[in-house]
Amino acid sequence: MSDGGTARPVRPRPRLRTLGITAGLLAFTVFAANEVGFDASTSWEVWTNPLWEMFWPIPWDWVLDRSNVLDPLVETFQIAILATIIGCGLALPISFAMSRLTAPNRPTYLVSRSVMNVVRAVPDLFWAKLLVTAVGIGAFAGTWALSIFSLAVMVKLFSETIDNADPRPLEAARASGSRHLPAIRTGVLPTVLPEYVAYALYVFELNIRASIVLGLVGAGGVGRVLEAQRQFFRFDRVLGILLIVFVAVFVIEQVSVALRKRLV
Amino acid sequence: MIRFDDVSVTYPGGVQALRGLDLTIEDGEFVVIVGLSGAGKSTLLRALNGLVPATGGSITVDGAEVVGASAAELRALRSQIGMIFQTFNLVNRTSVLNNVLMGRLGTVPAWRSTLGLWPADDRERAMQALERVGIVEKAYVRASNLSGGQQQRVGIARALVQEPSVMLADEPVASLDPVTSRQVMGDLRRINRDLGITTIVNLHYLDLAREFGNRLVGLRDGELVFDGDIADVDDDTFMEIYGRAISDDDLVGTEDDLT
Repeated sequence: MSDGGTARPVRPRPRLRTLGITAGLLAFTVFAANEVGFDASTSWEVWTNPLWEMFWPIPWDWVLDRSNVLDPLVETFQIAILATIIGCGLALPISFAMSRLTAPNRPTYLVSRSVMNVVRAVPDLFWAKLLVTAVGIGAFAGTWALSIFSLAVMVKLFSETIDNADPRPLEAARASGSRHLPAIRTGVLPTVLPEYVAYALYVFELNIRASIVLGLVGAGGVGRVLEAQRQFFRFDRVLGILLIVFVAVFVIEQVSVALRKRLV
Repeated sequence: MIRFDDVSVTYPGGVQALRGLDLTIEDGEFVVIVGLSGAGKSTLLRALNGLVPATGGSITVDGAEVVGASAAELRALRSQIGMIFQTFNLVNRTSVLNNVLMGRLGTVPAWRSTLGLWPADDRERAMQALERVGIVEKAYVRASNLSGGQQQRVGIARALVQEPSVMLADEPVASLDPVTSRQVMGDLRRINRDLGITTIVNLHYLDLAREFGNRLVGLRDGELVFDGDIADVDDDTFMEIYGRAISDDDLVGTEDDLT
């Protein structure tokens, strides 16, 4: 076949570009390691540090004593549940204000969006430190910090779901003479509710882990126990706590994932 | 009575969808509007209930002015005008009954509908509307579990429960097969006759327009090019409205054509 139109094209090989990108990435890695003082020989010292021997054996008597780990762990879950309810509850109306589809007017849309962007820009750990300073060390500060964190995550996820919701039932509601709020309630909420519940469960999973981290800065729960034992160099207890936490978080996540699968 | 007086609609993008339209529709009429897509049929219906604001002229429904009406006036007007859509516009994830109740949103207090506390009286009206379109047994079924024809009947029930004086149907059968199309058009005509509701239907299919219409209005590029009795309409009239010869795509046909 001499016909040019049916000749198979030569497969293009962007070899040079791939090589260039790889070389560039390599050079940057070396440069970055130099800049931050990352040195392979020091890294080895970290892993051969005698500290690691202090993790064994696990003092099960201490770990399994209710008041040491289990009670604070329950407090962690209480913080996570409360924060999920408060954060996701507040997120419901705010998400509708933040979506182009359902915002009552342009000012509400812009203001709610800007405020939520600012809230999200502040790291959750920083919120926790701020609230510990404001209301004192303990679960109360942790609950509020996590509520704000839940709110920030939830409005981001949920308002995008609303943006993508079917606008046609809303048109039908408007055509029948509905006010804004009932039109959203009847025309949009039923279509996005399963996603809302699924996201709330996901936020709950995040909160369980985040509430442990927040405990490290004094916001209550099992994180505070973890931090205290680390400060006493009781790394054997630290390992025991981590194992308990691992099992609990694993079980909760599995249940939550199974529930979410059924929803959406 | 519905009056369009020199009505123009120009969309924000600059597209002129209606140009200087004059049209008067008496109470209880059954009017079919035909025209190519983009001729302004949808815009005409949506200008009538204010979903699309007219940029010039005057539209009155029973004496009430639509152009420049306040939000409250528009809501009052819309509660009097039922609307049926090409894609049904149902809420898929809720029951048929809840969908029909949406037709009461213009009259039920906002706090009640927002909390889902529909008055018993309104539930009864919704059930009666479902009975009128013959699918009351589906009241507690999810809307998404219904066939296309059944979904459009829910759409009709939702409009009926408003107890409207005017019914607007925007391409109500464009997503349905020929047999279901005729059933749905039959429902609309029956409701028009039994309840005396002024009905305006946008249609693309010429054979359906002939079968079900009394009065035909033709639109072309946003202008009214025909207005008359359906009995006086022949293929030449359609050619004038469409600006080209009639093709098979312009006919819904019968079930026989498919086999």
